[in-house]
Amino acid sequence: MPLAGVRILDFTRLGFGAQATLICGCLGADVVRVESTTRPDPVRVMPPFVPDPGDKAEGFGAATLANATSAPSPNRGGIFYKYNTGGKRSITVDARHPEGLALLRELVAASDVVTESFAAGTLERWGLGYEAQRAVRPDIVYVSMCGFGHEGPDTKHVTMGPTAQALTGLTFMVGLPGRPPAGWSFSYLDHVGGYLGAVAVLAGLLHRARTGQGQHIDVSQLEPATALSGALFLDAVVNGRSSRRPDFPAGNRRPASAPGNAYPAAGDDKWVVVSCRSDAQWRALVKAMGEPPWTGEARFATFSARQEHAEELDALIGQWTSTRDRYAVMDLLQEAGVPSGAVQDAADRLERDPQLKARGHFTTLGNDEVAPMPLEGLPARLGRTPAHTGGRLRRGPPLLGQDTDSILRELLGMSSGDVARLRAEGALS
Amino acid sequence: MSAVASPLDGVRVLELTDESAEYCGRMLAGLGADVVKVEPPEGAPSRRLGPFLDDEPGPDRSLAFWADNVGKRSVVVPDGPAGDAAVVALAEGADVLVHTLRPAEAGTRGLDFASLEARAPRLVVCVLTPFGQSGPWADYLADDLVLMALGGSMAACGYGPGTDGTYDTPPLAAHGDQAWRTASTYAVIGVLAALWWRDEGSAEQPPSGKGQLIDVSAHECSASMTEWHCMTYLCSGSVFRRAPQPTLTAADGRRVAALNPDFLGAHVFTNLLAMLEAQGVAGPLSDPEFADPAHRASHYGEVWRAMKRLAEKNDGETLYRLGQSAGLPWGVIRAPEETAEDAHLRARGHFVELDHPELGRHVTYPGAPFLAHASPWRMDRRPPLLGEHTDEVRGEWGVEW
Repeated sequence: MPLAGVRILDFTRLGFGAQATLICGCLGADVVRVESTTRPDPVRVMPPFVPDPGDKAEGFGAATLANATSAPSPNRGGIFYKYNTGGKRSITVDARHPEGLALLRELVAASDVVTESFAAGTLERWGLGYEAQRAVRPDIVYVSMCGFGHEGPDTKHVTMGPTAQALTGLTFMVGLPGRPPAGWSFSYLDHVGGYLGAVAVLAGLLHRARTGQGQHIDVSQLEPATALSGALFLDAVVNGRSSRRPDFPAGNRRPASAPGNAYPAAGDDKWVVVSCRSDAQWRALVKAMGEPPWTGEARFATFSARQEHAEELDALIGQWTSTRDRYAVMDLLQEAGVPSGAVQDAADRLERDPQLKARGHFTTLGNDEVAPMPLEGLPARLGRTPAHTGGRLRRGPPLLGQDTDSILRELLGMSSGDVARLRAEGALS
Repeated sequence: MSAVASPLDGVRVLELTDESAEYCGRMLAGLGADVVKVEPPEGAPSRRLGPFLDDEPGPDRSLAFWADNVGKRSVVVPDGPAGDAAVVALAEGADVLVHTLRPAEAGTRGLDFASLEARAPRLVVCVLTPFGQSGPWADYLADDLVLMALGGSMAACGYGPGTDGTYDTPPLAAHGDQAWRTASTYAVIGVLAALWWRDEGSAEQPPSGKGQLIDVSAHECSASMTEWHCMTYLCSGSVFRRAPQPTLTAADGRRVAALNPDFLGAHVFTNLLAMLEAQGVAGPLSDPEFADPAHRASHYGEVWRAMKRLAEKNDGETLYRLGQSAGLPWGVIRAPEETAEDAHLRARGHFVELDHPELGRHVTYPGAPFLAHASPWRMDRRPPLLGEHTDEVRGEWGVEW
């Protein structure tokens, strides 16, 4: 694994930060999650909850805990399992306990990278800010990930994915003309911010290898998003064309595609996307549909005519798709050379998508408290150094504090007696 | 140890891609690599994508091209065997090749991994395709819309159902080619990891000196970006469908994403209530019963109505800041270009003005995705004119064609 021998002391929580160290863990880094028993990562105790192992005979999807209002344990929060594969280990330490703080400093000294996603200033208050890290490990690569970053006038502002999506234009870019933005139903920027967190870790390591220098890299949830609007930003600043105009956002219509949209398919709220980016693809679509007479009309004769009459064209294509199965349409059109894809939900991806299955997208992993389930890791295949969703340890996400004893023994050379004493003194809570 | 400033200083990247992977090269350039974009005589396809500068098409006027090719150099090679030979020779002198060719075309052009590896064993080859190099859909075609559909983003994005529970609008994909951008970002991660394994390693694993093939399937990348959707299905058996997002409309018509994340703890409501009281709109929320999360949950309409009263009294930017003053993760919904006015991003030096001397103007671009003062993001070169660096690269890389 490419990052074998790299250790990350990981204070991240929730999605944004944890996404970054998930990637690093899948690439083989030893990710040591520092956690608290009294203030657990919220995603450890938030619904949806992973079902009781006893329910596994009925398979996932038959759970009864999903509507529970309190967590059955800190190891059952479902979202935790999305973001904490990669063989992460878990140690619980109370940073507010003097001996706990001393332990954390020793762990920094034994690490290449420190990652965290607390509010700006939190680690400094504990006595673990960048300067304190440098004092024990001069070349430490410190990657902080928080909503507005650690510099600037609004560092006290807080974000979740939808906040950052609103502020950076991403929410605005989902919608139909003449209607308010529809936005995203998930925290896309938790992922994107996390990807850039992983880029920051790797860049920091490469820079350290070349110069001997560590540094603090300040990742916010806003900057990773500003270039995601592509040409829209430049169209406004260069041409003066605001994105706030009657024809934008244009739903699923794109300038390079005609026809292109999601079309109704047979079934309850089932849809299939068809997108023709050339005359050849349009002709292939016409043929695959059996050359209905309307396809020969002048209003659909050229790319620009099809764009101009997109509303009528979409209605006619929708009539053709609406009685057909979405996957049947997709396969028929793909065989004909037309870009097409079923609109898939999570169940489709987990249970139906033959491509994800063939690629080994999901890896079945559990731990001592939850039954093995299909989890995600790094969706890029490195031929000589494959990533693994179970990380270097080939295992599922850690139980809270599962590795406290082994980490202290292995990394700090402590005896069982040392660990027992620290635990009795409350440093390991 | 030399005083290099960028993580990828001295790393040569050859890019042979359509628009699906150009964002990858933009990021590698930001990290300090010398990214050379190989183009055919008529230019890369993205040079023909609008919008264009002053709405006049032209290979050097595509803003879509500008957005994703800032920081690169451009060389033109002829079509046919001579051009293919030049690309292979350039790849031999590169550290990284990023391409978007299907296996058949890569083979025809001598750019399949086996051939390249024989000539250049240290070369990292990153191939970004819609579905990856293997699997039953490997030869299927996709644009970003198809990938957003198959990946799952679309199924849950759009407008909620009507009062009868049925949907009268389709699922929606975000603009901006988000599946391609996510795949491009994973491609960057793969390249950095491969360079680390080749050149640096650790005490446990010395540098290998070897290149490798990185196979990026945009479909898989798109499928992994939907946060809790798969877990929710695994845990509950139910899937997310399209639903309205919690949004307040301010006095000036601007909208504010107004999350009220009770699950983060009791302090969230305490802060919200204090702010609403200070603004004189708390109403029944001041009743001590509302301190009980169960009561709040069953009377959530009152909480929402109080927030709406607040919204009616304030413009969007003020409403955003009022929410934030109470520690709430509220954000005003901006058009992409309105980020350029954000005082916080400006103070962080995020936006970069680049000189386009042939146009006699400066253009503002979004800049570094993070602040790394010891190895600053490199952003000092405007997007290349078509073939602008052909002679320069021929000389520097010692390849003739």
